[in-house]
Amino acid sequence: MMSLPFFGLLAGFGCVATGRRRAALLLWALSMLVMLGLFRLHVTDALTIVL
Amino acid sequence: MSPSASRSLNAVGLLAVSLVLIAAFLDQFVLGELPCPLCLLQRVGFVGAAFGLALNVAFGPRPSHYAVTILSACFGGAVSVRQVLGHIVPGTGTYGSAILGLHFYTWALIIFGVIVLGCAALLFFERQFTGPEAGPSRATAFGSAMLALAAFLALANGVSTVLECGGGLCPDNPVSYQLLSDPRLPGR
Repeated sequence: MMSLPFFGLLAGFGCVATGRRRAALLLWALSMLVMLGLFRLHVTDALTIVL
Repeated sequence: MSPSASRSLNAVGLLAVSLVLIAAFLDQFVLGELPCPLCLLQRVGFVGAAFGLALNVAFGPRPSHYAVTILSACFGGAVSVRQVLGHIVPGTGTYGSAILGLHFYTWALIIFGVIVLGCAALLFFERQFTGPEAGPSRATAFGSAMLALAAFLALANGVSTVLECGGGLCPDNPVSYQLLSDPRLPGR
């Protein structure tokens, strides 16, 4: 699952190389959403700092 | 700045971001330090930043392409900030080795900041968006090569992550490549 954003961006690079800009942007946006979702799943412990 | 000069500059930026990803790979394979989950997400941020630069190289400079790079750097930077804060209190340990006194996640935060500042600086040159060559045209050989390099690094990171984490989430402190050391796999 952690590799999904990389493969999403790889597919996006494929779209860039073949001239499909809109599809490339869509794949980038999806990859970033997956990345943020994975960030949320991995950040579970509280920080020991005072703000 | 002319559109073609902007494209060349973006190709150089693409090379610079690719070198960051190559440095991370060298640390992984030469020093044997497996990237943690947050480290992997920071790499995604770098590939995303490279993606915006690649859009500029391939389709010509547009503000939306710079936005792709800036947003990716912000997302990657947010992950870096979280990891820095996790280790900022003395005695809470660190992850990985340090280069020139700073750990990889701290360097990543600095580089993400440089990427954002660099894009903001380039956005001041408005003639790159309106010049006669601002429309779509073929990327230069150097630009195409940098685009291929960035795509290869996205692939290499994807494959490496599958080997390290399998199909699920990565452990917080990975010690081996799950897919290479799982005894339940056939033939082992």
